[in-house]
Amino acid sequence: MKVSRLKQLILGELLRLHKYNVIFISVFIALVWGIILYFVNSNIFDVLLPLLILVDSTMMSFMYIGSVMFFEKKESTLSSILVTPVKNEEIVLSKIFANTLHNLLSTSLVIIAFVFIKQVELRYILIFFSIIVITSLFTGLGLLFSYYQKDFTTMLMNIMILAFLLLIPSALFAFGIISGKFWEYILLINPIQAAQELINGGFKEYEITWKYYFSLAYLLVGLITTYKYLIIPKFQKYAVSISGV
Amino acid sequence: MFKVENLEFKYTKNQSNVLNGLNFEIKEGEIFGFLGPSGAGKSTTQKIIIKILEDYKGKILYKDKDLKSYGNEFYEDIGVSFEMPVHFSKMTAMENINFFLKLYKNNEDIELLMKRLGLWEDRNKLVGEFSKGMKIRLNLVRALLNKPKMLFLDEPTNGLDPANAMIMKDIIREFKNNGGTVFITSHIMSDIDQLCDRVAFIVNGEIKEIDSPRNLKIRYGKRTVKVEYKEDNQIKSKEYPLTEISENRDFIDIIKSKDIETIHSGETTLEDIFIKVTGVNLDNES
Ligand SMILES: Nc1ncnc2c1ncn2[C@@H]1O[C@H](COP(=O)(O)OP(=O)(O)O)[C@@H](O)[C@H]1O
Ligand SMILES: [Mg+2]
Repeated sequence: MKVSRLKQLILGELLRLHKYNVIFISVFIALVWGIILYFVNSNIFDVLLPLLILVDSTMMSFMYIGSVMFFEKKESTLSSILVTPVKNEEIVLSKIFANTLHNLLSTSLVIIAFVFIKQVELRYILIFFSIIVITSLFTGLGLLFSYYQKDFTTMLMNIMILAFLLLIPSALFAFGIISGKFWEYILLINPIQAAQELINGGFKEYEITWKYYFSLAYLLVGLITTYKYLIIPKFQKYAVSISGV
Repeated sequence: MFKVENLEFKYTKNQSNVLNGLNFEIKEGEIFGFLGPSGAGKSTTQKIIIKILEDYKGKILYKDKDLKSYGNEFYEDIGVSFEMPVHFSKMTAMENINFFLKLYKNNEDIELLMKRLGLWEDRNKLVGEFSKGMKIRLNLVRALLNKPKMLFLDEPTNGLDPANAMIMKDIIREFKNNGGTVFITSHIMSDIDQLCDRVAFIVNGEIKEIDSPRNLKIRYGKRTVKVEYKEDNQIKSKEYPLTEISENRDFIDIIKSKDIETIHSGETTLEDIFIKVTGVNLDNES
């Protein structure tokens, strides 16, 4: 691994996110939220911020990396990177890093809107740390997921199905439709629920319990093991398959 | 520089082999042409030698060591141009090039190279707005930007106009004259006939013949002389074998007595030889 090369790859990724207007769209979305929060006064927004951060760091990160990979497939650009001294691990890390940085930026903008308009109180270090861990994991998972997707539309459909299966229980729990100790235990196996717990811990009113530490450990171990045993070893074959030359 | 022995390859999706036991050598300092019709396995072979495709059978030596023993530093020394454009279309040509430059230790003088290939003026244009020919020329800039010792060029002249194809060939020749080694593929024989020191004919994943174009022409060429002359106000022509031509009375009589229009020795093109050797016609469309 070479830091200078990694840095160059990350800069390239960020420049591309900018060129493909992704960064502009993030700023725009945050602005829309600011406007909605300012003019619409409703209690529903009190539970909305954790859910927004959750969706951004999980499903959105998942989808972003999928789209990035399909762009690369369309333009055969990965083939050109494969014949540089760059290591596969550096390619993967740069994508995870750039995606995480971008999500950190876009989510921060939404958080700022909520903090100023709804006076939400946060544990800032914990919330940003959570966003970094969760986004890295879901970017990695999204990358792994895209290894097995044939085309963009199928990928979007499969993400919808996954989102439905994984987000719904967490949403039901967040709105109090299902509750109880039993569900608390079961739901933590779902990485999205564990992510939810981690994000909740970033809010001052939320009490940090063993569930928080369990979720944190679970996600960190998940991140390291999927990265090391699935994402990296399967990358070369996938990269060649989408290199298109 | 490269030695390939009994190279076999099968794509996981396919039933049968794409390459059926290739044997060849790329010598240091030569331009080695890999010629064959579409689907013969040229690009697949290139992708294996440049360490992109992995699960091959057989042995490949690079500088007398197993290719598999090399890490990614291997790419510092080689430059690759692929069959199709490989650039970020929403970025300018210069942004693309700068991105790749910083991934290597050695950097070529890009301004000079792009000026020669007629791309310097358009360096700040988005690659998405480039014509097909411009993208192909940009591929050569991409291949050369790390000052490689060896070039791999997959159909580099395909889709170029004659003037630009000429410039491209000049650059390749210069690269060789400065000590570089080149592996070049084409399905158009006439394109790289004069460029290559040696060529291999590949059909259906098998090499049918390897030699210098000159030797091939001597071995398979027609070795005749054709004379056109005027007789009774008509143009007539006769062909004679080149062997012992000075003893050929008929030939000498005609030279002496007739009004000669043209004399040609039988030039067989590489394409004729290819068809003769392999029995396969090349498609000349891109
Ligand atoms: N990624 C791939 N998966 C499956 N088959 C492939 C793939 N790429 C090429 N082939 C097949 O392998 C054969 C050789 O292809 P290729 O090496 O591209 O030939 P050439 O470059 O000589 O035109 C063709 O029959 C082609 O259809
Ligand atoms: Mg080809």
